[in-house]
Amino acid sequence: MSNSTIISQYIPSLSDPFLQIITVILILFFTILIGKGITIYLQRSLKDKMDKEHLNILLKTIYYGLIVVAIIGIIFPLLNIDTSGLLVAGGVVGIVLGFASQSIVGNFISGIFLMIERPVKIGDQVNIDNKLGYVEDIKIISTIIRTYDGLYIRLPNETVFTTSITNYVANLTRRFEYVVGIRYEDDADKAIKIIKGLIDDQPYALVNPSPSVFVDNLGDNAVNIIVRVWAPATEWYDMKTKLLWIIKKTLEKNGIEIAFPQRTVWFASELNTKRIDTEHENNVSIRGTDEV
Amino acid sequence: MYEIYHPPFTTELTDFEDTVITVEKQGSDLVYKRTFQGKEETELVLLNNDGNILINPIEPVNLPRKLTSFLLVEFKRPALIRPGDRKKIYLTFPVEIGVFVTDKAGNHEVIDIFTFSRVKFTLYGSHNHGLICRHWESDVYSTEPHTDLLHEGYIELEIINDSNHMMEVTKAVFNAYGMKIYYGDKRLGMKASMRIINKLLAETDFSTYPTTSRFKRSMELYTSRKLIINGTKGIMEFGL
Repeated sequence: MSNSTIISQYIPSLSDPFLQIITVILILFFTILIGKGITIYLQRSLKDKMDKEHLNILLKTIYYGLIVVAIIGIIFPLLNIDTSGLLVAGGVVGIVLGFASQSIVGNFISGIFLMIERPVKIGDQVNIDNKLGYVEDIKIISTIIRTYDGLYIRLPNETVFTTSITNYVANLTRRFEYVVGIRYEDDADKAIKIIKGLIDDQPYALVNPSPSVFVDNLGDNAVNIIVRVWAPATEWYDMKTKLLWIIKKTLEKNGIEIAFPQRTVWFASELNTKRIDTEHENNVSIRGTDEV
Repeated sequence: MYEIYHPPFTTELTDFEDTVITVEKQGSDLVYKRTFQGKEETELVLLNNDGNILINPIEPVNLPRKLTSFLLVEFKRPALIRPGDRKKIYLTFPVEIGVFVTDKAGNHEVIDIFTFSRVKFTLYGSHNHGLICRHWESDVYSTEPHTDLLHEGYIELEIINDSNHMMEVTKAVFNAYGMKIYYGDKRLGMKASMRIINKLLAETDFSTYPTTSRFKRSMELYTSRKLIINGTKGIMEFGL
């Protein structure tokens, strides 16, 4: 016994075409009325609990779902249309839709897990799948990122969930580091004292964890001093961009210069050199010209 | 120094700091200016305003910008307290000065905040669950310390050791939401308590009574801003 026959037992089919049209219109009218009533009720009760976008999707699904159910479940049996074929077609369509919506379902489930695990929050500065920027929105299917140069990036939640996430502001503090190379003839102890004093003047350079300033290595061209400073994660970038230039200027003001690459060449035997005065070049003397 | 001013006025806060506050009338408006060593630091126009200006100390957690509501006072010398004991000590705290404008209805709105104290921050607790706090280092006094009311105030802190062990206290964390600052002509202070529960946990709170009855209560910044306050206690859950 097919489905439509079972339904037909309870809903007798109509033979008069005029009566059929009137009944179909009436059923559709009442279905729409009930659908509207349910959606209005849900809209009122879920308005504060769901965001507008998701609520609209839910309401539309319920409204149109109700109409489809009414057509297939009530109107077709009334019109004596056999719906058993629809079941087969529905099964096939279901498989096709299942394959087609695989990624959507994956993204949806990932979205739910992201909302539970909360590795990122709206407003956080993150690096997801090599996309750097601020998290603008976390939706059920996708996550929106605004890059530092203002681009809009929509990342599927499956990507967000399965890739590594770097959240730059998840922890309260962050550390930054400079390498300050000074000349060999400069006093490294004095330089360290000056740098420590400059860090101490910065309000956001945290007292604990304390900053560290030390000679890290004796490089080819400079004595390299490492400067490590902890700052609140929200102030980290401003401090990093500001402090290095202050260190450079203050060191130079105190006679300590930042070293640059240079090479001293020693010859095994003394070179024969002579001084040439060139009158035609505005009396500029050139020294160190080799005599061949 | 800390009082209500009727515009127009000019007040020099200290000779040493060279900070001058001027409020001039321009028609029905007021022009507020703060200068440091002759250089203009802040200027703003209070449109259609004929209210008074109130200058008083505020909770010291607002500068350079609001980052935290916690103040951590680190003791220069640790203090030991016996189990079940209750002891009163004095600490210093940094002062921030707030300038408020008042209207006829008695509403206050802060228009400027500045400080002569050193501003530093610190982390209390772990990197992921701790607190960023305004940092201040203080000696531990057994009597009221002499402080310059533009730079420092004092906290009368009653430490109550509710644990069964001798406790070493090296720091105190206070929540600015509960702070009640009182001031006189020469000093300013607040009264607080610290209840030690165990080695890792303590609770700090403020008293609504002044340290000296002659002191006036200062305008609380957060109350005047009408912010919703959830908790006023400081919970020290990452050690003493």
